[in-house]
Amino acid sequence: MPTSDDTPDHITRRAPFRALERLAFIVGSVGLLTAMCADALAVLGRHVGLPLLGSIEVVQASVVLLASAAMLGTTLRDKHARAHLLTDRLSERGQRLLLGCSDAISAVLFLWFAAGSIWIAFELRHGHEHSELLHIPWGGLRLVWIASALLIAIVFAARVLQRNGARS
Amino acid sequence: MSVELIGLLGIVLLLLLLAFGLPIGVSLALVGVGGMALLISPEAALIKAGVVTFETISRYELGVLPLFLLMAHFCFQAGASQDFFEVAARFVGHRRGGLALASIAGCAGFGAVSGSSLATVATISSVALPEMRKHGYAPGFATGALAAGGTLGVLIPPSGALIVFGIIAEQSIGKLFAAAVIPGLTQALFYMGTIFVVCRINPALGPAIARTPWRERWPAVRRVADIVVLIVFVVGGLMIGWFTPTEAAAVGCVGSLGLCAWRKRVSRAMLAESLRTTLLTTGMIYVVIIGALLFSVFISITGLAQQMSATIQVMEAGPLTAIIVMAIALLLLGSVLDGLALMLLMTPIFLPIVDDLGLSPIWFGIFLVRTMEIGFVHPPLGLNVYVLHEMARDIPLGTMFRGIVPFLITDFLHLALLIAVPALALWLPGVLGS
Repeated sequence: MPTSDDTPDHITRRAPFRALERLAFIVGSVGLLTAMCADALAVLGRHVGLPLLGSIEVVQASVVLLASAAMLGTTLRDKHARAHLLTDRLSERGQRLLLGCSDAISAVLFLWFAAGSIWIAFELRHGHEHSELLHIPWGGLRLVWIASALLIAIVFAARVLQRNGARS
Repeated sequence: MSVELIGLLGIVLLLLLLAFGLPIGVSLALVGVGGMALLISPEAALIKAGVVTFETISRYELGVLPLFLLMAHFCFQAGASQDFFEVAARFVGHRRGGLALASIAGCAGFGAVSGSSLATVATISSVALPEMRKHGYAPGFATGALAAGGTLGVLIPPSGALIVFGIIAEQSIGKLFAAAVIPGLTQALFYMGTIFVVCRINPALGPAIARTPWRERWPAVRRVADIVVLIVFVVGGLMIGWFTPTEAAAVGCVGSLGLCAWRKRVSRAMLAESLRTTLLTTGMIYVVIIGALLFSVFISITGLAQQMSATIQVMEAGPLTAIIVMAIALLLLGSVLDGLALMLLMTPIFLPIVDDLGLSPIWFGIFLVRTMEIGFVHPPLGLNVYVLHEMARDIPLGTMFRGIVPFLITDFLHLALLIAVPALALWLPGVLGS
């Protein structure tokens, strides 16, 4: 098994990643609590005759924030769901090799996601996308997601480098 | 190379990637994007990835998932886990196998709060297993009841697995929750019946404990009454259309936070822990959902599901045979894949076939989750058993798996009943819909 020095969690002990984790937690929590309050108030308002217009848009924006932050936080903590049936039976070296490959592939995939999202954002740059009632700018939320996808790719890549460093 | 063959190779590649320990979401997305790049063009795959990722994370309906998770964590912090078991133990503990019956009731109650099999088995077992061992229950029987009972968390609404299925299959989450009520309750009753029969045959497996006087039973009921009212209000309100699933989850969060405050459990640390755990699980599930959506686009391009459906029609196999074949495939794959991966891999393939056969997608969702549950207890994967083994390392895994056998037989009978009588799942949504 990997030693404590090269476990994925080690990455979150470095100052920049620790700060990133704190940022992801704050942004995600704000998104989560805003979504909770907006929808609960919308239900209350509807039943007392004071409908809260635009609550769906607030929740949508909050969900973008919380999902982007949550995926980053999960990556920093290496809490992605995996099947362990085969990997648990491998030697320490085999496990490390597979985890390294897995992180490298994951980094490329999230770069691909970011590239695709940048392409769409670029195409829509003159569209001034915003929500209907509250005019929430979707372009800004796209940027949040793109930043998150890029950071996730960087975290995966950093983990590959860290594993290589530990091996050499 | 034909398009269908590329689809089949994609599925084989996906299984290999999963076996090599790649994150489930990454494996699904990689095969989906790679397949699209091969079948259409890399440019189309890039644009589709950009569209699907942002569309998924900005979907209002997906807000239901983190909010229900947060509600579960607030309920957990309010102390819901121990209370459900303790109430049931005071009512039925004095009967043979009574503590095992109480475990099933506790799992059903906590399952309604947590929506997760592993969380339910870990939480209820931490209270029930020491109690059963203290009173001389056979270790295999005790762990068997707990591992089986834990699976109730996946089906009893609000269920995380049903929410994910609803999103992938574009089905009403309210209808899925309504459809899960009777199968969930009958499953619990089937387990209780098994305990009753097994303890009749061999009373030494679960000896009776001293009867709790009535004056001590009611205070325990009062301890869970508020949480039960909250769950009934949230799930019931959703089923009868008072609020949308996301609103129901938001109301549940506020209600459960209120319960924490009522029970004087609110603190900064408790809030931070609930938010942190919710965000970690949410991030994991979002990656898996994005991957599953990209994979399902690839599968639909290959026409693999339509090809399989046409083959079934040519063979004149009929819906029942098709469903039995699907159940066998799911049970076999469930031996090596975890529940979420199994559901997300098979939904895009099986759902069009189910549609072509004229079966209800709502029923299929319940059938899929019910089959997936069995994978939580049967070897070699049996994650619930491994969770229990972590908690009681002195009980050998073999003893635990042997203890599961009577419950596994019950699971197969219950699954057969669900296939034979679809009304078990479809009656309640029909009544509420009308």
